[in-house]
Amino acid sequence: LLNEGIKCAHGASSSHQEGIAVSFVFQALLAVRRVLLAQHTAFPVSGADLYEELLSSTAILSTGNPSLDKLLDSGVYTGEITELSGGPGSGKSQVCFGVAVHISHHLKQRVMYVDTTGGLSASRLLQMLQAESSNVEEQMEALQRIHIFHAFDIFSLLSYLYSLPATIQQVSVGGGSVKAVIVDSVSAIISPILGGKQNEGMSLMIQVAGVLRRIAKDFNVAALVTNHVTRGGGGGGGEVQAGLGLSWSHVPRTRILLERTESAGTGHCSVRSATLIKSSRQPCHIKEQFDLQWWSTSKEGSAAKRKLDDSDSR
Amino acid sequence: MAESGAQLFARLEPRRSLKHIEPRLFPDDGGPDHGEVVELHGTEGTGKTELLYHLLCRCVLPAAAGGLETDVVFVDTDYSLDILRLVSILDSRLSAAGGLEEAELRSCLSRLLVVHCSSSSQLLLTLHFLETAFSSRPSLSLLLIDSISAFYWLDRCEGGASVSKQEEKLSKCSELLGRLLRDYRITVFATSHAIRRSYRSPDAPGSSSSSSSSSCSSSEGERPYLCRSWQRLVTHRLLCCRAEAGGNMAAAAGGGNKEQRRRQVFSVHCTSSSSSSSSSSSSSSRLKAYRSSSFYVTDGGVVFI
Repeated sequence: LLNEGIKCAHGASSSHQEGIAVSFVFQALLAVRRVLLAQHTAFPVSGADLYEELLSSTAILSTGNPSLDKLLDSGVYTGEITELSGGPGSGKSQVCFGVAVHISHHLKQRVMYVDTTGGLSASRLLQMLQAESSNVEEQMEALQRIHIFHAFDIFSLLSYLYSLPATIQQVSVGGGSVKAVIVDSVSAIISPILGGKQNEGMSLMIQVAGVLRRIAKDFNVAALVTNHVTRGGGGGGGEVQAGLGLSWSHVPRTRILLERTESAGTGHCSVRSATLIKSSRQPCHIKEQFDLQWWSTSKEGSAAKRKLDDSDSR
Repeated sequence: MAESGAQLFARLEPRRSLKHIEPRLFPDDGGPDHGEVVELHGTEGTGKTELLYHLLCRCVLPAAAGGLETDVVFVDTDYSLDILRLVSILDSRLSAAGGLEEAELRSCLSRLLVVHCSSSSQLLLTLHFLETAFSSRPSLSLLLIDSISAFYWLDRCEGGASVSKQEEKLSKCSELLGRLLRDYRITVFATSHAIRRSYRSPDAPGSSSSSSSSSCSSSEGERPYLCRSWQRLVTHRLLCCRAEAGGNMAAAAGGGNKEQRRRQVFSVHCTSSSSSSSSSSSSSSRLKAYRSSSFYVTDGGVVFI
């Protein structure tokens, strides 16, 4: 029946029945239509069922840094995309490392880390882990729970993301489920293909967004992405805004802008200020300051070590 | 297509009118009636989803809590439905009305049907499927789509060089929606994202409310980018934008209170166009009515100023 000339499901559903029914039995056509609809439509779910499902499956993953957690309303939520944007050297990758280490060590869950800039180094991860625990075996276990993938162009990223559901199932067999997918940075791959007259760039960007969201929702993982910044306004000198344009701005549920602080101290400063620029839970534009070194300082020491916030000691 | 007597009855029985769903948003006597479409347009972070939740709650809440007790279908195209946020709004409204019970919350939520779509073809097929839902549930009177513009870039790329092919899927969806509106007399609310940044001169610091309203009207001039059949369907267009009136509020509230939290105020500008139905002349004039309102967002939902 399907070979006869019904090329696509839309044609079958919306065309006049009389036109095609010349050589078909009307009932058969109805049956085909029903099957096609059943196969391809999305099924409605009652709000109550959805709520119950969400209640039992949503988790909030702490980032390991209390000031960041305060901004994010106690952590990164699963089922959503959270975005970190900032200029070069503002600490986005460091924050990603810290979150990955915290999840794999403290929460004992797996992390899928997609590195697009080549900025990931295992020795830095190890350094952070060594501050968390001095047991070598624990460190190795935690490192094993971080799965790394290098993607340097949009197509390999897309193919990785499309195959992620299968990978997640495979990986979860060995104990510990995947709880976070970190893409650092999504703008490094996408901004070269945007611009100009071609539309493929925007379409690929929206495809990446769609796949990430679907994975976050279906597998209850937290998606964390990083983004660069641009200056807004007509001609130079506007305020700093997150990059990738207006169409991307609808994609993440929560957005944070990282900046270096103007501290009166000496050159190297590891304190960054984070501003909440989009959130569905908190009022916007609340600022927090935090120290990038938080993840590498040993928590087992005395309380005196926490005074590293001023970053005078180095 | 033949339909049974019950289906015919369900189709013709008048659905609950949503004309008074939110009188503060729409011009006087111009709320969305049967068969009308409301489009909420704006950039990110301008409160469109919050407004949608507010309207949704108004529909599903029981009459005792100030609701309309109708069923709602929510078509979610970009996985942005935050059920936890919705539940917290319902909680606060129910407890404000007195008595918070688990069963009441559950009955409110069961009036909501959620569908996720991931492409415009799936949207089209889902709308066909929902037709049966409409015919079997006469209390279903509202269809919410968030957002109708989610597949814009995907369709544009798939369509290649010809504009008509690009818009083909969305125009089919709009035509189907038009037919559903006429046959079943439902109301549709849809959000669409603004995708072209309007470059205007930066506002002076300490802007008063007048300059913020001018920034809202400048975005009114941006071209609607969705296909023509969708634009023909829309009868009310709500433009949402952010207003920088936080400072004014704090000053007006009294000098002693330094703890006043700077609230982000959003403003909505509603343009309603309705063709005059009484005239039988050949040229149907489209009457336009305008209304502006502002609101801010609290934990319990949207509060109008």
